[in-house]
Amino acid sequence: MTRVNMLLVLALILSSLYLVRTAYDSRRLFTDLDRAKNEAARLDTEQRRLEAERQAAATNLRVERTARERLAMRNATPAVTLYVSDSAASGVAR
Amino acid sequence: MSWFRKLNRKAGAVSRGVSYSSSPLLASKTPPWRSKFLVAMIGLGSVVLIGRALSIQVVHNQFYLEQGEKRYAHELDLPASRGRITDRHGALLATSVSVPSIWVIPKDVQATREQKRELAKLLGLPYAEIDRKLADTSSRFAWLQRQVDEPLWQQVKALGIKGVYETREYRRKYPEGEAAAHLVGFTDTDDNGQEGIELAFQRDLQGKDGSRVVVKDRLGRVVENIGDQVEAVDGRNIELAADAKVQSYAYQRVRDAVLEHKAKAGSAVVIDVQSGEVLALANYPSFNPADRRNLTGAQLRNRALTDTFEPGSTMKPFIAAWALDSGRVRPDTPIQTAPGSITITGSTIRDAHPHGVLTVAEVIQKSSNVGTVKMAMQMDRREMWELYSQVGFGQKPQLQFPGAVTGRLRPFKTWRPIEQATMSYGYGLSTSLFQLARAYTVFAHDGEVMPVSMLKQAAAATPPAGLRVLKPETARAVREMLRLAAGPGGTAPRAQTMGYSVGGKTGTAHKQEGKEYSSNKYRAWFVGMAPIDKPRIVVAVMVDEPTNGVYFGGDVAAPVFAQVVQQTLRTLGVAPDLDVKPQIMANGVAESF
Repeated sequence: MTRVNMLLVLALILSSLYLVRTAYDSRRLFTDLDRAKNEAARLDTEQRRLEAERQAAATNLRVERTARERLAMRNATPAVTLYVSDSAASGVAR
Repeated sequence: MSWFRKLNRKAGAVSRGVSYSSSPLLASKTPPWRSKFLVAMIGLGSVVLIGRALSIQVVHNQFYLEQGEKRYAHELDLPASRGRITDRHGALLATSVSVPSIWVIPKDVQATREQKRELAKLLGLPYAEIDRKLADTSSRFAWLQRQVDEPLWQQVKALGIKGVYETREYRRKYPEGEAAAHLVGFTDTDDNGQEGIELAFQRDLQGKDGSRVVVKDRLGRVVENIGDQVEAVDGRNIELAADAKVQSYAYQRVRDAVLEHKAKAGSAVVIDVQSGEVLALANYPSFNPADRRNLTGAQLRNRALTDTFEPGSTMKPFIAAWALDSGRVRPDTPIQTAPGSITITGSTIRDAHPHGVLTVAEVIQKSSNVGTVKMAMQMDRREMWELYSQVGFGQKPQLQFPGAVTGRLRPFKTWRPIEQATMSYGYGLSTSLFQLARAYTVFAHDGEVMPVSMLKQAAAATPPAGLRVLKPETARAVREMLRLAAGPGGTAPRAQTMGYSVGGKTGTAHKQEGKEYSSNKYRAWFVGMAPIDKPRIVVAVMVDEPTNGVYFGGDVAAPVFAQVVQQTLRTLGVAPDLDVKPQIMANGVAESF
């Protein structure tokens, strides 16, 4: 009888320790998960910011001014454009 | 002292008389009710305690549970971001970015003089102000600067001053800036739409903040969720019909024209005829939505939608169209316009240049008032009113956009004959540039006036059905007249553009000032379409008060039209329908209004 009791006490102690361990692990994992989620949110806002910056750096007004002034480009006109229709293009390719 | 001795003596007498072994109190028997009473009291006390315990732990435990939870639970906000606004190809027109705002707890701040000076330099504030803000040790919170750029915060952080913190706020960014300012609008600091699309679609754009309750540990890390998490719902993204390229180009051309002609303002509207989508809606003067200090009403006005004016000559094609449609005339029916004036109930209407006999097509081409009035006077006033109403004059545009005005078209029953006559060539009613552009879709879309949309239409959807007003062949005949009007011998040869056939009508008017027409203030506009055989776009351009010598619509607005058409059709990938060769148009006729 005593031996059984001793065994049960041992099992109880092991189980308790395991519970403590599991609770600790789960909290640690949860913290990691939460940190990863925050990181994702941060990267997401960062991405939005960079997208906005990219667009701001490439507005049509700015592109046009740069093309005109720095690169000395002009608007294409039909006079200097060769128009090809789709079917004709594929014909040439073959 | 005698009373003291007496007292002493008395006390001595008493102490001598007490016998502890035989106290009468001990000898007397305790009555049994006393112990019973005590037991009953103790029992009652226990009952009260148990009752109280029950009440706290079982019956009314909610309050204490909540209080207990409050000691370790923290509620975190999950901020939702406002939806973005993009153009038809996905280019961002408005987006929210999270930016740092720098704040301090003044009493925690420990900074050397050097650090403070550095901080002042970074923030661009005078040293004295920084010093003042940090010196106020009684306050527990002060903003240093709100909504700063990320790199700046990093620099401030690198200074390593204790007591300086950041918090995140959303700031709206408008990458296209002033070019699309009137179209997109803007929000206030609390992210509520104030103008334009931001206002019109406030409910869609707005997100809904979520929240979660968590347990934090000693280090401030989240270790557990409590209860359900309310997810943040981001605002819906809005995809506009506008094309950022067309929009920006139209804005530039309007701006250039306004500056060139020393005008007060200008507007341009581009509508895709096939789908009714608004490709561009530009106004000058404009503003930078990111920096709205010192804004004037003139800059904020979305003139294309809110400013009304008498449409003048641009109404003549409608009269000609209805005369054709109702079988009263054919395009080659001659109309006598000599001697260049006509009298209706005592009032005389004149042409700026007398012409003689003109065909119906020539009446439009030369913009003859007399010819138009002669056609209009054959019509019933009710007919005319219905025609004008159907193409949208005097009707509020069915458009999800704030501020669109109705214009003025009086009920036909109040029209006197002279008013019917003046209305035929565009006086006595008023319209916005946008309404005018939309009305011209009736010619461009083979007799159907198109419903317009600010939002991109789904690609798979069939094009929306228009309201049929004219027969297709009538619309084609009027287009031919408009082509003549914008050609050599018409009023706006400068509307011609390389590679594409165009057609349109100019308008020029003395501006109304109070009840009078001003003698030296004009408004010039042009409405047209291209390519004329199978129109793809309608473009309307208006320039307000050109003061640099020229003021006719054909000289001021038509060149803007030509450039915008050229660029827009190229962007849309429409192949030119004209053989490209240098086109010389020397002999345009003087235009009348």
